[in-house]
Amino acid sequence: MEFVQYLVNILSLGGIYALLALGLAIVFSIVGLINFAHGELMTIAGYLIVLSLSFGLPLPVVLLVACLGAALSAVLMDRIAFRPMRSASVTTLMITSFGVSTICKVLFQNGVSARGRAVALPEWMSGTLTFGGFQIGMVPLTSIVLTALALIGLDIFLRKTTLGVAMRAASEDFVMVSLLGLRANTVIATSFAISGLLAGIAAILWISQRGSVDPLMGFTPVLKAFIAAIIGGLGSLRGAVLGGFVLGALEVGSEPFLTIGTAPYRDAIVLLAVVLLLLVKPDGLLPAVRGVRS
Amino acid sequence: MLRVEGMKIRYGAVQAVHGVDLNVGNGELVTLIGANGAGKSSILAGIAGSIPPAEGQVLLEGQPITGLPADVISRKGIALTPEGRRVFAHLTVGENLHLGGAAFSKGDELRARRDSMLSRFPILADRIDQKAGSLSGGEQQMLAIARSLMSQPDLLLLDEPSLGLAPQTIDKVYELIDDLRKEGLTILLVEQNVELALSVADRGYVVANGRIALSGTASELASSDLVRQAYLAI
Repeated sequence: MEFVQYLVNILSLGGIYALLALGLAIVFSIVGLINFAHGELMTIAGYLIVLSLSFGLPLPVVLLVACLGAALSAVLMDRIAFRPMRSASVTTLMITSFGVSTICKVLFQNGVSARGRAVALPEWMSGTLTFGGFQIGMVPLTSIVLTALALIGLDIFLRKTTLGVAMRAASEDFVMVSLLGLRANTVIATSFAISGLLAGIAAILWISQRGSVDPLMGFTPVLKAFIAAIIGGLGSLRGAVLGGFVLGALEVGSEPFLTIGTAPYRDAIVLLAVVLLLLVKPDGLLPAVRGVRS
Repeated sequence: MLRVEGMKIRYGAVQAVHGVDLNVGNGELVTLIGANGAGKSSILAGIAGSIPPAEGQVLLEGQPITGLPADVISRKGIALTPEGRRVFAHLTVGENLHLGGAAFSKGDELRARRDSMLSRFPILADRIDQKAGSLSGGEQQMLAIARSLMSQPDLLLLDEPSLGLAPQTIDKVYELIDDLRKEGLTILLVEQNVELALSVADRGYVVANGRIALSGTASELASSDLVRQAYLAI
């Protein structure tokens, strides 16, 4: 029974990491940008949840507002901050995203509040479901279902739609995609929109586990997502998902072996495992398939 | 159809093209020949918009297209089949063709274009669900040209279509190029293999060190001393 509980925890925590890592990987695979402002997209979704709950909107609408708001914010980030820097180097882009991240954090701290805000979740979310002898909390169950739906939906989009196929092509050879007459900026904007959408979903799941929103809430999960993306192989979409679940498994799986003395070192122990893994597989578990040309 | 005036192309501090003038008439097959590194591919990239020219003009049907983004130029009717083929290796043959036509047609029309391309290239029809990266070099070259033709271009820019292919495969590619010319497609062909290029071309330009060294009809070039000595080794 305990094993099932661990599995549920791995899937629900790993799922959040997977969604975030996937968002980072999609943008990186196409634009070569490591977006450090990805966490702020989560925070934006969080504040949109607080705001729309305060208007008394029904829950599905609240969640929709959060996801679409995060997607729109991601597109705006690209339009305002990253598009003017399109031909810049990876390092310059990375520093730009640090700037965007910092500006957002300061805006939240001064414009909203530096302190956290409690999010009142609906009654049913604190309940549990009983399956043949073991109980699963509604929160992890929702996480697992939403993560699965998001991953399946994205897979269908990338395989079945022209824009999705163009995005996969762009991750191999971006210039060739525009030589075929496909609008480069549309492909890029879509990749940002999807990464924002995934960050929005991840924010909903993260907040449902935490019950509060604060200006720095995106930092920790997105840091973990970077690690997950690197475990999987930076820029590889399947790798990002796998990396998310591997990191979730490392964190949840290490818990039974931690004592009061070693528990504070959990992250260090997990990172050590990541370092060992990268020593064996320097390009990650499922390395990105990038074209030779830029 | 196409007119290039005083085109200069720079890569940082290095200048690859030093003021090139050329023109391609409707339905003509014009070739740019010359040694490796002469600037032939750069000229094509400058026309297609993948590398914006530093100076000069590119006119399509009299309209300036200089410095426009590559996707805009492509939608104006210029398709580039680049050197090295650049098929999307991890996409299927079908997906590669789909993307070639997606900016120009939708739904049934796009499917019809794809089907007619598959009947023209039966080898691609057999491999429709295979990853493009699993094709042989010759098949990839056919796919790259088919992908360009999906846009039904007015002008096809072909960059080194014989590069790295086996002799029989080169013959097939050149049969295709000759067929396309007979169908009335306007083609600007870049080729290192001078004999091959002059065998299909109407006219040609000899490019050396980023400049046009000589121009003329294919037979004039083939019998010129410069081409015979420098490129045909006769």
